[in-house]
This record gives sequence, C-alpha cells and structure tokens, in this order.
Amino acid sequence: MSDAILLGAVAYDAKVVPIWEGIREHFQSEGVPMDFVLFSNYERQLELLLRGHIDIAWNTPLAHVRCKAATEGQSLSLGMRDSDRDFHAKIIVRKDAGITALAGLAGKRLAVGSRDSTQARILPLHFLREAGIDLRAVALVPFDTDVGKHGDTGTSELHVLDALRSGAVHAGAVGDLIWVLEQAAGRINPSELEVLWTTPGFDHCMFDALPTLAPDKVAAFQRALFAMRWENPTHRRLLELEGLKQWMPPREEGYASLVAALTAPDLL
Amino acid sequence: MTLSAVAVDAGELPLGGGLLTLLRPALLRVAPGGLVAVLSRDRAARDDLQRWCQVEHHGFLGSEVVDDRGTQRHLIERGRLGVPRPEREAGLPLALQEDGHLLAATVLDQAPFPEHADPHTGFAPRGAQVEPGGPPYPVSLLDRAHVAPPDVARLYDQAVAAQWDASRDIAWSRITRLPDALEWSVGQLMTFLAENELSALYVPSKFIPRLHPHFAEVGMFLATQVADEARHIDVFLKRARVAGGSLGVSSVTTSHSLLSLLQIEDFTEAEFMLSVLGEGTFIDLLRFVERHAPDEPTFELVRRARADEARHVHFGLSHVRHALAHDAGLYGRLEQSVRRRAATMSAVGGVPTPIQDALVVLAAGGDAPDRISRGHEAFRELLHEMHDNRMHRLEHAGFSAEQARTLSELHTPNFM
Repeated sequence: MSDAILLGAVAYDAKVVPIWEGIREHFQSEGVPMDFVLFSNYERQLELLLRGHIDIAWNTPLAHVRCKAATEGQSLSLGMRDSDRDFHAKIIVRKDAGITALAGLAGKRLAVGSRDSTQARILPLHFLREAGIDLRAVALVPFDTDVGKHGDTGTSELHVLDALRSGAVHAGAVGDLIWVLEQAAGRINPSELEVLWTTPGFDHCMFDALPTLAPDKVAAFQRALFAMRWENPTHRRLLELEGLKQWMPPREEGYASLVAALTAPDLL
Repeated sequence: MTLSAVAVDAGELPLGGGLLTLLRPALLRVAPGGLVAVLSRDRAARDDLQRWCQVEHHGFLGSEVVDDRGTQRHLIERGRLGVPRPEREAGLPLALQEDGHLLAATVLDQAPFPEHADPHTGFAPRGAQVEPGGPPYPVSLLDRAHVAPPDVARLYDQAVAAQWDASRDIAWSRITRLPDALEWSVGQLMTFLAENELSALYVPSKFIPRLHPHFAEVGMFLATQVADEARHIDVFLKRARVAGGSLGVSSVTTSHSLLSLLQIEDFTEAEFMLSVLGEGTFIDLLRFVERHAPDEPTFELVRRARADEARHVHFGLSHVRHALAHDAGLYGRLEQSVRRRAATMSAVGGVPTPIQDALVVLAAGGDAPDRISRGHEAFRELLHEMHDNRMHRLEHAGFSAEQARTLSELHTPNFM
C-alpha cells in the first residue's frame, strides 16, 4: 500500500465516491496503484497536501492558486479537464430591469454565489471592478451555500438563477457552464433573462502535487490519467460523472486573473 | 445519408430558446468533421455557442458578420466524440401491399439483419444511429446464421394475422358431456396437450432475453409463439372441464421428457428439439385427435391449435436449415443432443400408458370391446405416421436421409 499514490478529493456530492472508486480501478488496471481520501472542504485538503499527508490534490482554482502561493510557485500541476479550460462568468439580467450596460448595475440588486466560488463571486466581481464598476454602488445579494466546497456544488449559482427568475434581484453572476447547461436543458426562459456581459476567460480545476513527489509517481499518474478514453464505456461513465470528455495537460496562464483578484484587498 | 455541410438559420433565437433545437439535429446530419453554419442575430449566441461546443466537444471555428442587420455566421465542426453509428439510413419509403397493409417482412427487406450484432448497441433498434460508449448488454445470441432465418418476419406477419380467441371463437355451448370412457379420454388427452404446451411456452421464452435486439423480428416471432401456447393451454384446459369432466394423469415420463427440453441452453438445439422434433410430432398427434374428435367444437379447437403449431414448426425448420447451411459442425452437435436425451429417456419408459389408452379409446369412439381393436390399429398407425413425418421434416431441414432416420429413431417415444 505504501507505494500507492494517495489522492485527495473533496466530497462535494455523493457521486464523488463512485467516480474515484472507478478511477482507482482504472489506475489498477494500468498497473498504477492509487487510493484516495475524501475531504469535506478544500481548506483541509490543501493543508494536508502541504503537510505531505497526501500525494496529489484535485483542487478548485482557488485551492490551486493558494497551493502555488504556499509553495512559492514550486508545486506541480499535473492535469485538468477539457471543461476546466476557458471558463467565463456571465452577468445575467432580467429583461425588465432596464439594464443595458454595466454602468446600469449601479443602484440595482446583483445576486452573487458563495464567497469561495471562483466563477460566481470572486472573478465576476474582480472583472467588474477592472471594468470600472464601483461595487459600493451595487447592492450585492450573496448566496453563501456550501462554503468550503469552492462553488463545486453549483447550488449558489442555481440560487442566483432562482433569484433572477423570481424577480428578487435585477442581475446575477453565474459561471458560463451552468448558464449554457441550464439553457441546453431548456430551463432558461429567454423572454425573461439575457446576458448583459461575459467576463474574460479563466481556468478551473487542477491536480496539484508538492515538488517533492517522486518523478515516477508523477509519470505513472499522468500516464494512467491520460489513458482514459471517452469511447471506452467503463471510462465514459466516470468521465460523464466528473463532467469531462478528455483529460488535458496543465497550463498556468488561465489562473492569472484569480491571482490578481486574491491580492486585491476587500474582495472576500 | 450524411452530409458534409449544413446551414441553419436561427434568426433571433437564443441558445436555450430554440437555437440548440435547430442546431443539435443539424449536427446529427453531418459526418464527424462536417460543418454546420449557424446564422444568428442573437448577440449572446457567439459566447454561448463557443462554450456549448466546448462542453459537447464540437469545434467552434469562428464567427463573421454577414449582413448589415448584424447577422452573424458561426461555423461549427462536428466533433469526433459521440459519433453515432451506423450511418444514417437511406430513408426510402416502404412498399405497401396491394390491400394497403404494411408488413414486417417489408421493413426487414429494407433494414436487413446484420451478420453480427454488437452488445454495446443495447436496445437501440436496428438502423438507429448509436452513440458509442454505451454499456454492453447481457445478450448472447449475436450471429445472424444461428439466430435469424430470413423468413422470420414473414412468419411473424402470418402469426399476427392468425391470432384467435379461446373464449369467443369456439362454440363451447355445443359441447355436451360424453359417455364416461370418452369423456375420460378427452380429459386425459387435454391434460397431456396442455402440459406439453406449457413447456412450449417456457422454452422459447427463455431465449427472448438472450437475443440481440437487432434481431428483434426473431423475438417478435417467439412472442407470437408464446402467445399461441398461452391460448392453447387455455383452450385445452377449458375443453377438459367444460362439460363437467376433469383433468387426467401427468406421468413421470412426460415430466422427465419436458424437463430435458427445458434444460437445453443452446438456442438452435432447443429450436430443433422443441419445434422440429417435438412440435412436429405434436402436429401428428393433434391431427389424430382432430380426425377422431368426438364433437365439432373439439375438432375446431384442435384444428386451430394445429395451424398455429405448423407455424412454429416452419420457424424451427427454417432456423435449423439456415444454421446447418452456415455451420458444418451443427449436425454432429444436434445428433449428440438427441442421443443424450434418448439415453436419459430410455430409463423412464415409452409412451405414457394413460396417453396410449386415451388415444385408443378416442380412436375407438368409446370402450366397447369390438371397437377397441380398431382403436389399437389407429394408434399403431399414428406411431408410424409420426416416424415418417419426422423423417420428412428432418430431410426438409437439410439433413441427409440417413441422418434423418438416425435422429427420428432416437427421438423420444414420448412424442415431444
């Protein structure tokens, strides 16, 4: 067991168990012993990664950026989902709110997601401020659900959309993934809601490891991970559950805006 | 038919408000790597399409403004993941019969059975565009040669057209109680017939879930066979009881014989034993009962059952003939199977005596001593007739005369 790669993931949903049980089985079949530990929040997971209790952490962008900061940029990025690339946040408005430009948000109620949600709170507010919007003039209506899960559950984004539908707010911030998926499922009424603004792009989750992780473990982990195929029914079930079609190599440039947002004062 | 490029005009529809409803089917019409051009005047469409394409793994190639009304043309390349197979059907209209009927056989002509079916296509009907990556289904009958004779759809069409009703279609009111010996004989025979038909309901049933759904017509035919057997069980048991008679004896010989049928796990072998040998001989038995029927409704119900059974025999013959033509080793396996069964059966005796006695009394028209010997003669003729007809059927199924004789003589003396 001591040779096994120990991976950490946050149990943001019951499906996390079958996902990692299945991926563990796949790793075994690739000759890569692996086991996983589930955490209830990303703060604890990051803490135990930094202490060396686990080898690899499946991190949100917020946990990834914090991991980089804590290791002075030395931590290893091992891979991400295709769906983690080029995320955007959307500012959605009610059509009857009379908001036609970002400046029109002044004096209006803007729903935002959990305080640790990159896509529904941290980055939309950061990008709004960069676009010159004075956030003190906007009435923020926060939905702080599932704090510690970094927005993974998507519940705060669904609350934002509900608040928009009910008319409780004039505008709301959600990630473009939820926005597109809710539309594709036919749950958005286009005569009621529309997109006011799309933020610049940013990247999402990442597998992080300490620089001290043995190179053969790094290589074995990446080999087994990238061997998963959408066309394979066993893999496909896991990939569908985890919300991707293909694992991708890591890239860092997609986190620059989040680094900037976290160094700015008073946002969180 | 797949196309290389398709254009969709989505007007002002937003992504979730109709644009996808036009785009998704358009993508299914092009081959992977093919292009769909979406014309749209919705200003959010560009971003939304780009994200949606990423989620669905299609390529978003870019957008350009094409007129002064702000119409944009978004170019999407169909992704290589989630590729349906096989290719889309040609979509030719189906030819109707002169009377306007549309037959399953016509559909089969247009969408023929595959030579081999893939368990990963699940319950997708033959001809559907199947997304890859589905789970394998626990079906084991995958080869056309061993599963699907070419005339199965025609037999299904005939079976559906020939369904009848055991409550309504028999003149039950015209059956009166027979003299005791004849009434007993009818009750005993009906018991035996129903017992055999129960086995004929169970045996094909167990193969239906093993059939690959691409051979649906085989399952559909077997379903008509199962429905036929249900009706026969119903009608035979009604006949036994309708005039106050009761059921007869179920013998251990019959029980052993039918169990050995039920235990066959190979579809072709089971079809051969049940439909070619068993039901073939059963037809001769029904014809005998028909010939000596004590009243017109009994004649009629047996006649109807025999017509159904003839269809089952036809399917069995067709199945075995088709399989023999494609599998050189099949004859040997079938002969072995018949020998095995004969060996088991030799330990439990010949035609069950209650059946023999009932057939003699029926043919004699009662138990008057002067008529019983005529009944005996008729029974002996029946045994010869069964052997001769079995030989004919076996030769018809594709066996040589010598193979046919061997198999027929080995066949269980219990008829089924």
